[in-house]
Amino acid sequence: MKNILKLTLAILKPDVVKVPFVVQEIRHRILTAGFYVVQSRSVNLSHQEVEHFYSEHAGRFFHQRLVTFMKSGPIHVHILAHPEAIQLWRQTMGPTKSFITQFEAPETIRGSFGLTDTRNCTHGSDSLASALKEITFFFPKFNYEEWSEKHEPLLRRGECIIDNSTFTHRIK
Amino acid sequence: MLSSNMTRVSPRSIVLRKNSPILSFIRTKVSKRFLNKSQEESLPVYQYTSGKNDKQTKVFTWGLAEHGALGEREFLKPIRQGRRPVEYMHRPYRLGFADENEVTDIAAGYGFTVFAAKSKKSSSQLFGTGLNTDSQIGYHSVRKDHPLELIVEPVPIHLPHDKTSVAGVACGRAHTLVLTGKSEVLTLGHNGYGQCGRHIVENEDYQRQSTVHTIRIDEKISQVACGQDHSMFISDQGSVWACGWSADGQTGLGHYNNTDRISKCVGDIVGEKVIKVTSSADCVLALNDKGQVFGWGNSEYGQLRLATSEMQLHTPRHLPLPSSLGKIVDVATTGTACLILNDAGEVFVWGYGILGKGPVVDRSQEPTAIPLTLFGCNEFNSEIKVTSVYGGLSQFAAVTNTGDLYIWGRNRFGSLGLGHLHNQFFPIKISIPGYVKKFSIGVDHCVALCKSYV
Repeated sequence: MKNILKLTLAILKPDVVKVPFVVQEIRHRILTAGFYVVQSRSVNLSHQEVEHFYSEHAGRFFHQRLVTFMKSGPIHVHILAHPEAIQLWRQTMGPTKSFITQFEAPETIRGSFGLTDTRNCTHGSDSLASALKEITFFFPKFNYEEWSEKHEPLLRRGECIIDNSTFTHRIK
Repeated sequence: MLSSNMTRVSPRSIVLRKNSPILSFIRTKVSKRFLNKSQEESLPVYQYTSGKNDKQTKVFTWGLAEHGALGEREFLKPIRQGRRPVEYMHRPYRLGFADENEVTDIAAGYGFTVFAAKSKKSSSQLFGTGLNTDSQIGYHSVRKDHPLELIVEPVPIHLPHDKTSVAGVACGRAHTLVLTGKSEVLTLGHNGYGQCGRHIVENEDYQRQSTVHTIRIDEKISQVACGQDHSMFISDQGSVWACGWSADGQTGLGHYNNTDRISKCVGDIVGEKVIKVTSSADCVLALNDKGQVFGWGNSEYGQLRLATSEMQLHTPRHLPLPSSLGKIVDVATTGTACLILNDAGEVFVWGYGILGKGPVVDRSQEPTAIPLTLFGCNEFNSEIKVTSVYGGLSQFAAVTNTGDLYIWGRNRFGSLGLGHLHNQFFPIKISIPGYVKKFSIGVDHCVALCKSYV
């Protein structure tokens, strides 16, 4: 049971959602990295929702910057599955600060497409606990226990195909 | 064998008939041979000029082609069979649009380009190409309610009054400012932070937005400039006004709140006659008529270290530069560094990133000079000076008095136009056939407005 799939939450931030070329490239990188996309949705967050989502950063100097940025347009939210989901997604994204990442890790998503340290393309959960918390925030109807029982073994065996219109893996 | 074959063909075997073209050709050649050499010197030389005597304006674009921002239809939709779309153009490409229309100003944003041009075919003086997911280059649709999100070649942008004259343009990440001949400013595009100077509407769909907003202030607006998500205006009195995103204090209004109402900047620039304000991300530099430099906004990489040790500055402050630098005549910023030019034509740089002084990603607290040798100044060309400087997100550019363009920084999708995809660590000349008059660096493409040599 080593290769059991774990989950992480990925967000494409407002700076890339409006650029079709970059959205396409990031989706391509998600799939080539070997992720299964469990669920996807596009959402416009309100000020209160972003405040709540980023409550762990409250009081930091960039908090207001992050909040106003995240509510400035639509975002894409994806639940990604992979045996090393959290670590792999953070590795694919690259470090937070785009201005430094573009020189130190230019092959990562933030290194290639990041504009500034705030407009840095993507978000990823930092631990399994926060991933589940963030998934419940964006997908209140998603039942983790039910998914790991029914869908996880099917995904793991590769009995699914990617549906490009919704960008989710559909069980065959 | 071979030599005997060759002797058989002799010139005598060619039979010349009367009035044959060959014969008349030979005759003209022969008649020229009798021309008196000494007389030839004294003959007048006529040089015929075309009806159009002035130098031609050309526009060159290069960088990522996928957004359509380069303005060449062929790159995305090749007409000729068997041709594949071009992903990126790694060298300056001459834009056909500028040969047919007289382009007066250019601006590059994130994936789109805006031109101010006088056209014979269209009454509009504003043209745009590229990404249009926030209506930053106007509302264009083929079918009703299906706005185009990508435009592959320059199209006229319809302004409220059909004959509005366009004096200047500026582009942010997803919005456009248009300065009209009547000193008003028209704004198009994304208004999520109030950067268009109109009321922020929650969850507004900017892609279906056909509104062109008009900004008027008490004074006449003479210049416009954009950061990524904020807008700045200079009046003919020299005061600076701003609106938009201010999470780093980049509007210079003394607070960190977004402002959709255009207001006058506070701090040290009050009472100064500002002649230039510039920003490419969130750090802003301004220059007054006395050659003093002011800064505000983001300072995470020490861009404003001369005035503050904080990460953000919401009130414009005078930057006390060493007096040895002399009078400053131009300023430019990237997201992480600042570049200034003095009246002797020397450039100084500080901040973080590819600063242009060596083969490493560098950090500098103090303004340090970039040797003029790198801009082509040497024993044989001792007159060369830098005359203007430009900044992108992670690139710098400088134009010399010979009209040459030098560029250095991060080569995102070939946007430096060097013919390769490697970063450039010191200023290098871009091969453009023409004098560069204006330059604009977008996020992943560049646009240069040039005058032809002849």
